[in-house]
Amino acid sequence: MTNYIPTIGIEVHVELKTNTKIFSPAKNGYGSGANTLTNVIDLGYPGTLPTLNEEVVNQAIKAALVLNCKIRKEMHFDRKNYFYPDNAKNYQITQNRTPIGYDGYVEIEVDGNKKKIEIEEIHIEEDTCKSAHRKDVTLLDFNRAGVPLIEIVTKPCISSPEEAKKYIEKLRETLFYADISDCKIEEGSMRCDANISLRKNESDPFGTKVEIKNIGSISNVKLSLEKEAQRQKELLDNNETFKAQTRRFDDKLNDTVLMRVKETGNDYRYFPEPDIPYLYLTDEMIETVKEKIPMTATERKKEYMQRGISEKNSEKILLNRAISDYLNEFLDTNIDFVIASNLLLGDISFYLNKNFKKLEETHLTKEKMIELVEKLSDKTLTSKNVKDMIEDLLETDKKIEEIIKEKNISNITDDSYLEEIIKQVLKNNQESVTDYKNGHDRAFKYLMGQVMKASSGSANPSLASKMLEETLKLDD
Amino acid sequence: MSRYLEKSVLELHELLKNKVISPKDLVEEAFLRIEENKDYNAYITLNKEEALKEALALEEIEFEEDNLLFGLPIAVKDNIITKDLRTTCASHILDNFIPIYNATVIEKLKASHMIIIGKTNMDEFAMGSSSRTSYFGAPKNAWDNTKITGGSSGGSATTIALRDVPFALGSDTGGSIRQPASYTGITGMKPTYGRVSRYGLVAFASSLDQIGPMTKNVYENALLLNVLVGRDNKDLTSAHKETEDFTRYIGTDVKNIKIAVPNYFMSDIVEEEIRHKIMEVLDELKEEGATIDFVDIKYLENAVTLYQIIAMGEASSNLARFDGIRYGHAKENPKNMDELYYETREEGFGEEVKRRIMVGSYLLSGENAKEYYTKALSIRDDMRKAFLETFEKYDFVLGPTTTTTAYALSDPMDDPTKSFMDDVLVIPVNMAGLPGLNIPVGFDQNHMPIGLHIIGRPFDEAKMYGLASFIEKKKNLNLNPKGEENND
Repeated sequence: MTNYIPTIGIEVHVELKTNTKIFSPAKNGYGSGANTLTNVIDLGYPGTLPTLNEEVVNQAIKAALVLNCKIRKEMHFDRKNYFYPDNAKNYQITQNRTPIGYDGYVEIEVDGNKKKIEIEEIHIEEDTCKSAHRKDVTLLDFNRAGVPLIEIVTKPCISSPEEAKKYIEKLRETLFYADISDCKIEEGSMRCDANISLRKNESDPFGTKVEIKNIGSISNVKLSLEKEAQRQKELLDNNETFKAQTRRFDDKLNDTVLMRVKETGNDYRYFPEPDIPYLYLTDEMIETVKEKIPMTATERKKEYMQRGISEKNSEKILLNRAISDYLNEFLDTNIDFVIASNLLLGDISFYLNKNFKKLEETHLTKEKMIELVEKLSDKTLTSKNVKDMIEDLLETDKKIEEIIKEKNISNITDDSYLEEIIKQVLKNNQESVTDYKNGHDRAFKYLMGQVMKASSGSANPSLASKMLEETLKLDD
Repeated sequence: MSRYLEKSVLELHELLKNKVISPKDLVEEAFLRIEENKDYNAYITLNKEEALKEALALEEIEFEEDNLLFGLPIAVKDNIITKDLRTTCASHILDNFIPIYNATVIEKLKASHMIIIGKTNMDEFAMGSSSRTSYFGAPKNAWDNTKITGGSSGGSATTIALRDVPFALGSDTGGSIRQPASYTGITGMKPTYGRVSRYGLVAFASSLDQIGPMTKNVYENALLLNVLVGRDNKDLTSAHKETEDFTRYIGTDVKNIKIAVPNYFMSDIVEEEIRHKIMEVLDELKEEGATIDFVDIKYLENAVTLYQIIAMGEASSNLARFDGIRYGHAKENPKNMDELYYETREEGFGEEVKRRIMVGSYLLSGENAKEYYTKALSIRDDMRKAFLETFEKYDFVLGPTTTTTAYALSDPMDDPTKSFMDDVLVIPVNMAGLPGLNIPVGFDQNHMPIGLHIIGRPFDEAKMYGLASFIEKKKNLNLNPKGEENND
């Protein structure tokens, strides 16, 4: 058995978040009826010409910035010529010679070690239309034709499937938090192709490259590369050779499947797009984009941990952009972030998920949230109380005080009610009372527990504790 | 029926204003003339019903006294997209193509209340110089129906020469307005690249194509250009230029203007009779106080080669969209995708178009793109610089428009490079992105028109019209092939 070193490179296509398409005024959207978001330009109609959506250039500049790329200030578009029914003009407008971004990196962490995954280039291009194959016909939906894409290409510098997965995760988080793309792999707004080759020693030339196309999920990035590495290893161990080829990952087979053997001389006849003049980016343009970049995921995580939230919870927050954005509204306040994050990740998320609601659809104003966190902080409210109040908190404009009254939650600080409970508890737990009086501190904790239980958790613990102590003393 | 369409646009405007005639009369007369001249094959599609409807509709609105183009008929080259009016590019592959939008220039004509009479014949996809590559047969020369009318805007040239309509649009990628204008004794302007929006012009070679006016005289040409120009946000290559009055230098003299004549333009590639006629004009200008210098402009003799590389390279890509999937001719019941592509294009395109697509594809293949296309672009830049250097010292560059007058329709077409040589004098202007204008300055011994080619600085069309009008007036030729016509 020989050990092999895998060399992996990854190409990711990301659909940019813009109002309109890259070269036409048609809307850039997902989920509309087939061929409703199109116009003559997207259809490659004779005589039409592309215009250039400035939003796209700005988004691409932003991507180059957040991926630590250098930005090419003088650039143009190129035509990539090939015939295919999803390619309306039978050429795709892309950037071949002057990609907007180059020489960047994404930093990942594998087993506690940091590694920079180098980015070769980022270029702008248009998406093709979507084909659906039905028996003996192919249907074309041009809604996707002309949707702006950036393609991000790494150098062949990834050395394990685990690294590949980490890279994709980090890339996705970075682009998503910069509002560049919604990065939904399942909707196709983020698409991933990976290539892998094996060699025995670092000093050997690269082995034969196999490309895995259209990997459908992040977990499949790792899985498919592992399977492919295994497949290649077995072939190499048996001294079998294979040709450069394109494969896909089959979920059911749990393995890669051959699509086609690469033919040499795939000739796209690239030449500069004569319909779009050269673009000259200025430092001001780049600066303007830079100023508008939202807080990155890394910055957010750092901020949360500084405010006492655990690493695990910080990462949980980042998985839900809406929660993170909401929490960030309190960065300039002094509220307890641990309590706030527990609320958001706990009762609030639970309620939202159960009711298929979004945070921004609720009535949880910033003021209300601050008051709620404060009341939890000074123990006026318990988490049990919040559970009882959650619907009113999220769905109405009622003030917290009002809800407390309505829900009769005021009893928690109602001395007489508590007194009643305590009396009852002491009466039913005479043994523990005796223990307490004999100096067993643990007995107090037990009794306290009983009080809380009797009040169904709604008693204010500090008040209850104080009153319990007093009552026990009174008993003397 | 009275005949008005020989008259000048100014006269027609007066007649319309005084309600002596109506737009409908002019439209009807235009169709009558086109019918009489049917054998000249100037049109591919006529817009009869719609044109009459529009003419009648104009009677319902107020006459625009300031708009000299109001209610006048115009013919449009069939590679300019017209909504609901068949647009074929003279190709079988589009012979059933009814567009769903209007080219920007068409919107402009409509805004000026001009009436589109029909779509004119041309070389298939504007590829040719005699209009003989048309799927619909070649149009004929108005002066001699056994001769070519030139191309690719041949139908537009013929219909203007025949006085069917006062105005026509052509397009010029490598001389396709100026060369047929020269062969037919009319005025044809290829404006500066970027002057007129290309949105809706079916692309042949995107970095060279330009739409321009074709008319019976200089003044009317300038009038039509007035309404065609302006930045169009739908065409990123259109120039950020304000509209202007292109007639404003008409009536000025030529004292102290400086003219350069490239030696190459007057070399023996040009027939002696034509050179002689051009020399005559140059002498007259000199007498009127102009300076004439013979100069060398670098790269002129390379222009055709460069043009072939750039135009065919771009064409091979521009014409890829005609695949039978979304519009146009399609192979019936193809067995598979490849057959749909191969057979649709095999059946749909003519020989010349196929040849240029193939050569263009070759020129862009693999390393060839760098070897040919990229290199050609860079020499093109040098050529433009050479022209601009000349324009630092001179106001205009002059020469003949063509090396010969119109030749026989029956001349062989078996030499594919011959058609490029017909355009050897006009191609450099496209390569340098400059404005170029043809005006007739005389006739050869067979009474076929000879054209003068005026090349100007970028965006200097107005001054070119000034010079052209001066020469036109001085020559005072009878340019109506079918009779007398006063020229004012």
